[in-house]
Formats: sequence, structure tokens, C-alpha cells
Amino acid sequence: MTNTLHRRGSLEDLKKDYIIFCTSPKGQSKEGRARRLKEYARIVLSHKPVMFGSSAQGMQSWAAGPDEFINRITDDQSGMSATFTDLETLYEVIEDLRKADLGFCVVVSGLLDEVAECCHQQGFERHSAEHSLGIMGRTDRLPSSQILEINTLCGHGMVSFNLIKKVIDQVKLGKLTPKQGAALLAKPCACAAFNTRRAEELLERARLMS
Amino acid sequence: MKIDKNKCVGCGNCHAWCTMGVIYVDSDGKSTVNEEECVECSNCYRSLRQGTENPTVVRSLRRILKLFHLTYEPPLDLCPTGAFAPPKLEWPRILRAQFSDPLVVHPSTGVGGRGTEEIKTNDVTNRLKVGDVGFVVELGRPGLGARFRDVQKVSMALAGQGVTFEPNNPVTALMVDTQTGELRPDVLNEKVLSCIIELKAPIEATPRILETLRRVAGEIETVMSVGIGSRCGPDGSLAYEPLVEQAGFRLSLNGKTNLGMGRMVP
Repeated sequence: MTNTLHRRGSLEDLKKDYIIFCTSPKGQSKEGRARRLKEYARIVLSHKPVMFGSSAQGMQSWAAGPDEFINRITDDQSGMSATFTDLETLYEVIEDLRKADLGFCVVVSGLLDEVAECCHQQGFERHSAEHSLGIMGRTDRLPSSQILEINTLCGHGMVSFNLIKKVIDQVKLGKLTPKQGAALLAKPCACAAFNTRRAEELLERARLMS
Repeated sequence: MKIDKNKCVGCGNCHAWCTMGVIYVDSDGKSTVNEEECVECSNCYRSLRQGTENPTVVRSLRRILKLFHLTYEPPLDLCPTGAFAPPKLEWPRILRAQFSDPLVVHPSTGVGGRGTEEIKTNDVTNRLKVGDVGFVVELGRPGLGARFRDVQKVSMALAGQGVTFEPNNPVTALMVDTQTGELRPDVLNEKVLSCIIELKAPIEATPRILETLRRVAGEIETVMSVGIGSRCGPDGSLAYEPLVEQAGFRLSLNGKTNLGMGRMVP
């Protein structure tokens, strides 16, 4: 599972960052799950997320492309995630998933008020919600907010501070483009919650500041 | 994690990928993992492509390039000689991998990642009922890691507030007493990338839990990312919001929303 709760950034940046997860709760029968999950994946992937995947398929499960990702789904896979960069598309994804009624638990990580309004407009209210209260403790040991903003794009915190610093340096030196840098930074993220588009923008900003 | 010294060429490419920043070049010129600080996340092994170059050839090439004041620079995501050698882990060290490697499923809960479904399946599990508030306290995140001795400081402080620790959570599974929050003594020195203390309490307890977190935050050597959640009212509202603000905490703009689409499929 993943913890995208603590993603950071300005309101404008967060407006471009929505992750939608589906989870088959523990205890639910596996029988027929692959068929339902494939249907779920077809719906979500038809809206062209910037990232998608599942740690059940191993690392970089997105790399093989949407068709192969769907082919590899088995009854043992309990969920998947996909990242979108605008609320309008998210609205459409939710609308399609509600029509399909596949029974999975569906969670959106993103701006809470916008997602609540999205539900309201479609005639239902959110079931449960969760806020971040930020970081406590030895915050003096943490790097700059620029580094943290990229680090928290991975739900499990697998993108190290040092890798982010190194990629920023390489981008500033012109050895990597922001797009190449974002692709490298996405590599350790098993759950595919890493928003490569946002990472690319953050790296571009770092380049322009140099 | 271990690095095979017979294969390592000391290029240092792996250092940046280490989530804890604990790979360094030793006095023999080869990369070494500080195993005391390593959390066994396997990020170095998995994220770097494991190359098949001959170590002797690569070392010779490096020496030749050095003569001309040039450096050997393989692609950033390549270990040229495939020098990583993942060890077989025994208890209690195996906990490091279970909590730090997102591809490992927690044996105590059957869930991967940090080992808990938390609010993601609340529409089916009803883990947080109307009138409950839930807290997820993730120690070590972001990026610093946490020893279980710090985790215990927080769990014991919270236990004193009469909370209920979530039974389907791998940190709760390490407690010898869920009334006190005390953890097994043999795990206290183990270090993980992060782990989540998960609890619930009546919503009125929100201010005193927040105060406890504020106090215990000054007693730990790491960081903790804190989340608060609950079931929504019929109009989508969250009863804890005013309580959090009155306690002087700021609620994030973003967070998780369970859309309520889940159901038990036969």
C-alpha cells in the first residue's frame, strides 16, 4: 500500500496531482478478481494517466505499456494506482467507475475540497477522508522543501534525498533534461504514485533558478 | 544489503540511490554498505540495472582514464558489474525489509508496502466508525528512517491516552501489550525506512492526542509524518476539523478521500 497523504507543494502544483487507487480489501475472495481488475484498468487507462502501475507486477510495471499491464493482471493482484494531472479527467474517471460498479474500494489522493465537490456534483458524498498534519520531530535533519516536494511524490519514500540532489545537479549542468531526470527519479517508485509530470516541472524550475 | 567486493569497481554510482545515504567508498576504494544503518529496502539492488561488465576490465579502464584526468561515468542507473549481493535475512533483521521494501508483504497482516490498508478500505471494513477519529503516525518519513526504540516512545505515549491500536497493522503486531504500547525488546534496535502507528479513539480525544504527539515529538531522534482521518458525516463533513484547528494544528489542503464504492464481492 502507499502513503501519498504527505505530498507537499503549492495549491497551484497540487491542482495537477491526483492519484486514484483501487484496493480489494483483505478477506475478499480472489475468484474472478482479475476479470474485474482488468475492467477497472481498462477504464482508468483509457483516460491516459501520466503514471500507472502496481507493485504486485514488480518494479516499473508501467514500462511495458497499458495493454501488457492489463494482460499481466492475475487474481493475486489486489489493486493498482494511476496518476492524473487535472480534476476534469479525474471527474470523468470517477463517473465511469461508478457506472461500472466493480466493487473495489476506490480512494483519491489530492486536493480534498475539490474531490469532495467532484463527488457532490455526481450525486454522492465521500465516505471517509484523511488529512496530513505535517511533519513533527527532528525537522532540523531534513533537506530543503524543494527536495521534500520531490521525495514525497513516491508513496513509500523510496526516492532518496541524495538521488534528488544528484538529478537536480545533472539537470542544472545540462547532462540530463528535466524529462530524463523525472524518468530516473520515478524508477524506485514501486506503486506508481510518482507524478512524473510534476517532477519534470519541479526540475525545470530548478534548472531555471541556476 | 551487501556488495561483492570482488565485483565492485568503486564507481560510486549506487551511493545516491540508497534511501538512507549509507553506502560509502571504503579504504580499499570499493563501495561498502554501513549495515548498522541500512534498512534493507533493496532500492540500490532493484533500481540500478545490474550490468555484466568484467570488473578487471572496468578497473583498468578507470585507471587509464585517470591518467588523462578523465573520469569513468557509467549511466546514472547502472551498476556496471552487477556487484550487489542481497543477503538472506534472519529475525529480527528481516523486519527491516518487511517495513522498508514495498515489494515485501508483511506476514502479520498479509498487506504489502507499510502493511496496512488504513482508510483505503474503510467503506468495507468500517475500521473507523461514526464517532471515531483515526491517526496514522508514520515514523521515519520523510527520508530519515526510524529505530523501533523511537517508535516505542511514541506508541507508549499514545497508549497513555486510552487509544485503541489498529489490530491489522504490523507495528501493533510487534507490541507485547497494546494497553501500554510496549514493543518486543528484541526489535528495539532495528531500523526501518518508515513504519506506521495506527490508532483510533473517540473523536473528543482529538485534542489530547495531538498534545501528546506534540510533546513526544521532542523526545525522538527522527521525524514523523502525522495523518488524521474519520468517516464523513451524511453531508461529507469531517467532525475533527474544528478540533484540530483549535489545537493549533494546520490541516493539509490535500489528503485521501475514500469514495465509498467498495463492497464485499462474493
